Amino acid sequence: MTTDRTSRYRSKSSRSDVIGLSISYQREHLLARGFGLEHLRELLIRLARPLLRQRADLAYGGHWGETDDNFTFDLLRLISAEQQDNRFGGPDTALKIGQLYNHCRWPEYLDITPRIEAQWIHCCRIVRISQEMAGIPPADVVPDSEARRGSDHAFFNAAVCLSAMRRLMMNWINLPIPGLASPFSVPPVTARIVLGGKVDGFSGFLPGIFEEALVTLESGRPLYLLGGFGGAAAVLANALLTKGTARPPELTTKWQAANTPNVAKLDKLRTKYKVPPGVRSTSAALDALFAFVKKGRRNLAKTLGTGLDEAQTRELLATQDLSRAVKLVHMGLRTKFSFDELPA
Amino acid sequence: MGPVALRKHARTDVHDMDDRIPEIYVLWHPSCRLGETLARRIHAWLRPGNGLGPQVFYRSVAAPDAVAGGKPVRLPCEGGIPSKEKLDIVLLLLDEHLISDQAWRSWITDLAWLPTETRPVLLPIALDPTAFNVPEPLRKLNFLRPTGLPLPPLEDPGSPATEVVVRSLLKQLTEAMCRLLLGRRDPPGASTRKAADADDGTGPKIRIFLSHAKADGTVPAKRIRDYVYSQTQLAAFYDENDIPFGAPFGGVLEGSLQNEWTAALIAVRSALYESRPWCRFEISKFRRPLPVAEKRNKPNPNRAKHWRLSPTLVVDALEGNSRTRGIPELGNAPLIRWSTEVPEQEEQIVTTLLRDALLAAYHVAVGRRIPDEADRIVLSWQPDPTTLLHIPQVRNSKRMLRVAYPGRGMSGLELDILDEVFPHVTFESFESVFA
Repeated sequence: MTTDRTSRYRSKSSRSDVIGLSISYQREHLLARGFGLEHLRELLIRLARPLLRQRADLAYGGHWGETDDNFTFDLLRLISAEQQDNRFGGPDTALKIGQLYNHCRWPEYLDITPRIEAQWIHCCRIVRISQEMAGIPPADVVPDSEARRGSDHAFFNAAVCLSAMRRLMMNWINLPIPGLASPFSVPPVTARIVLGGKVDGFSGFLPGIFEEALVTLESGRPLYLLGGFGGAAAVLANALLTKGTARPPELTTKWQAANTPNVAKLDKLRTKYKVPPGVRSTSAALDALFAFVKKGRRNLAKTLGTGLDEAQTRELLATQDLSRAVKLVHMGLRTKFSFDELPA
Repeated sequence: MGPVALRKHARTDVHDMDDRIPEIYVLWHPSCRLGETLARRIHAWLRPGNGLGPQVFYRSVAAPDAVAGGKPVRLPCEGGIPSKEKLDIVLLLLDEHLISDQAWRSWITDLAWLPTETRPVLLPIALDPTAFNVPEPLRKLNFLRPTGLPLPPLEDPGSPATEVVVRSLLKQLTEAMCRLLLGRRDPPGASTRKAADADDGTGPKIRIFLSHAKADGTVPAKRIRDYVYSQTQLAAFYDENDIPFGAPFGGVLEGSLQNEWTAALIAVRSALYESRPWCRFEISKFRRPLPVAEKRNKPNPNRAKHWRLSPTLVVDALEGNSRTRGIPELGNAPLIRWSTEVPEQEEQIVTTLLRDALLAAYHVAVGRRIPDEADRIVLSWQPDPTTLLHIPQVRNSKRMLRVAYPGRGMSGLELDILDEVFPHVTFESFESVFA
């Protein structure tokens, strides 16, 4: 008997799946559950690496600062290592692995230098979400030079860009390249894994995890909500697992406004500056999210579209077992996207 | 080639030892300044990457559903049901805040008084002189006492002074855990399973074998030997001291190499090392995987499903422009350069090697959880061609064989090399098996 040497440890199937990762470090929440940053980092690698070997791409909207709680460089190092690994001959050499799409909104992308971009060009495509792409009319665009001056207008536009980025990620984005007939097309996020996240003190109209979960659900894409590790993901998971009709306080505008001063500020600024279409108020977004919560309480697996059964989906939302969480996510993705079984 | 002959006193792992998979819990009071720093360093040390090593969890701040200042999340051992799968090892970082906090005192007292079947292994670590005011029965235990304490107030977690504390702690912790994991084996004939905390200190010391060439390798070997005996709770096999006059040289060597308490080997690779027959004998014996016994049956190497390999560390003691030849038996054993300019290098060498021994024991335990299948064998180390060739099923197999190994996966290059040498074998990481 001979072995199949055309492919051993990476998938042969080409695919255009992009798995979004919404993961952020909330120290107190994790520590209260017995975990630290290193557990989160390990969880991320365990989730991401098999996806890359299945040749899926990843999407992560992190910034480019080398801070403890930013996982952009962890993902880049992982992808770079996988690419290096794939270069030396052997059955898997011809098989391209996934890359990272880093959606970065104005004004954060102003901090990305050409050197940074060049350094990681083989691993990552940076997708800059400009004010124009966010739907801000030309007259309302804030010059880049004023982005960090702390003006209300810059603050508002930054929040708009953040919301727009989360929305736009769920669709194809065409990036024109000067001189070329065809733009570069960034594929949409086809599934999202969510963990942690701030419940208060966030930028934007509502907690990032809430908004990313919402746009994922509205797009009908699978949402893998790891609620066992705290943060906004835990709040959302607990809301889905709760019986009855009660609305968690964190999913109300009143609570958000009381705990995050930016919320009230942005609400006021909506009356001062033109709001592009598609940019919902905090109140409208939370209402929409709660509508999904109510739906999910009736049929969780179907609402989240995980590819798991009801019991497994419930387990995914609650488990604090890192290995089990990884296993359930991969099980679900395998079902939804026909991933191959790979050894090693 | 026939079956591998096992000598008398060969190292085996008797199956009815306590082979529960250890999980580490680091406890510290939320006000302990050093607590989180130490916990994270412990995590990084015991889990060196790529999915290797035991899980390490933290217990410090109040559980999500607890009142402010309340207890952290319960430990599994507090659930009241003895676990056949997991062994909780609790590292108590004892500072003045914990000692003076009645809620924490009560908690650690409760842990110490749990019934034997559920009680975790408790390792007290003194971060402050008041640590010894712990409640009974913790007082009777020998504390780990990292040097360099107390730190000045407001000391930066990344400072050299903190690093002294961390290094000392990791050294002591590694020895303690190595003894715990390697000392869980019952001697042949024992009929009772050892209780989790029954390390009464009467067992033999964990031993490190020092392989070196007399002509040019004694300086590093002696320094390591002297360090082991003066600074650790270990023993070292050093031929000058440990082969009795008149005893058969080869027999004593082999007995020591194959002894259950010889946890690891340091090969001091000087220029003449590779040309010394006894040195080659030592490493070839030690770098030979051994089958893990099932129950109390003598293992059959032709059919054994589980294999273990004790770790080797090569100390590169080549000087100046000297050259030597490669030694195939060393395979993928790690290598560290010997330098007289590096302070306390003996500590780094021994502690790192001990950690590998600890990891090997851990991976044996994890490997036992992999379901038995006819076409699969399970290793406790990341394989290389040299060690794999000693395993009959791998060497002789003409049918597809699966080999499971610890961690998250080897690099593509390594897998490709193995694929060339063993085309009938598919390698699976533990993580992929359990996925």
